[in-house]
Amino acid sequence: MTREGFIELVEREQEALRSFLLYLCCGNKEEANDIAQDALVKAYLSSAGYQEKGRFRSWLFKIAHNTFLNHKASCRTTESIEEARTLISNSTADASFEHQDLYLALRTLPPKERSAITLFYLNGYNIKEIAAITEASEDAVKKQLSRGRDQLKEKLKL
Amino acid sequence: MNKDKALEDLFLAQKPQFDDNEAFTASLNKRLDAVEYIKQHQEATIRRYKMALVVAFVVGIISGGVAMAFVLFMPVGAPLFTFRGQTGFFAWLAENSRLIVVTALSLLMSFGLISIVKNVLDIVNMRKHLV
Repeated sequence: MTREGFIELVEREQEALRSFLLYLCCGNKEEANDIAQDALVKAYLSSAGYQEKGRFRSWLFKIAHNTFLNHKASCRTTESIEEARTLISNSTADASFEHQDLYLALRTLPPKERSAITLFYLNGYNIKEIAAITEASEDAVKKQLSRGRDQLKEKLKL
Repeated sequence: MNKDKALEDLFLAQKPQFDDNEAFTASLNKRLDAVEYIKQHQEATIRRYKMALVVAFVVGIISGGVAMAFVLFMPVGAPLFTFRGQTGFFAWLAENSRLIVVTALSLLMSFGLISIVKNVLDIVNMRKHLV
C-alpha cells in the first residue's frame, strides 16, 4: 500500500477510530489522539502485510485496541472516579460531551470490557467481529459485554 | 446477544464530533515523515553491512581459489599433511589429504557463492523498495 493510499483510507476512517479511542480513554482527547497517532504509525509500518480482503476499519481497530492495551499496561496508574472527574473537567477532555456520566461509568470498567462495550454499542460490531478485533474468544466477549452492560446500567442508573 | 436499547441510545446520542481532522492528518504526516527517515537510515546501514559481507565473501572465494590451485599443483605422491602417530584413521587422513582439503574448500566456496547471490539480491530489493 502506498503512503498516499494509506492516508486516503485514514482520512475516511479517522473519525471512527478517534471516537473509539476517545471512549476507551474516557474522554481524554489528548491521550486518545496520541494513541490514535501511534496506532496509525504502527498500521503504516505493517501496511505491507495488509491484504485488502478484510475491512480496513477492523484491521485498524485491532491495532488501535492493542496499542491502547499496551499504553494502559505501561501507565499502570490507579484510577478512581475522583481522578476521572478531575480529568474530564480539565481542558483536554472532550468539551462537546454534554453527558459525561458515561465517561465516568466507562472508567470503572476494565480496559477489555470497555473495548468490547464500545465496539458493540458505538461502532455496531457483532460478537464475532469483536472477538476478531480483540483477539478473544466469542464466549469471553459475551461475558465482557454482559458484565460491562450490568455495571454501566448500575452506574448510570438506567 | 441483544443490545440494551437504553445504552445503545446513550452511546449514539453522545457520539463525539471532531473539527480538527486536517490538523490530525497533518500531525500524522509529520510522524510518518520521521518514521520514513529512520527507516531509510536503518536500511542504508543494513545495505552497507550487506555490501561488506559480499566483499568479504568475494575475498574468501578468491583466497579459496588460490588455495585450491596451490593444493592441486602440489606433487601427487606427497601428502599435504602428516601425523606423528600413524594409526589407521590418521593414515587414511594423510593419504586422502588432497581430496579432503579440496572438498572442504569447494564446500566453503559454494557457501560463499550462495551468500553473495543472496546478499546481492537483498541489496537490489532494498534499492527497488527505496525507489
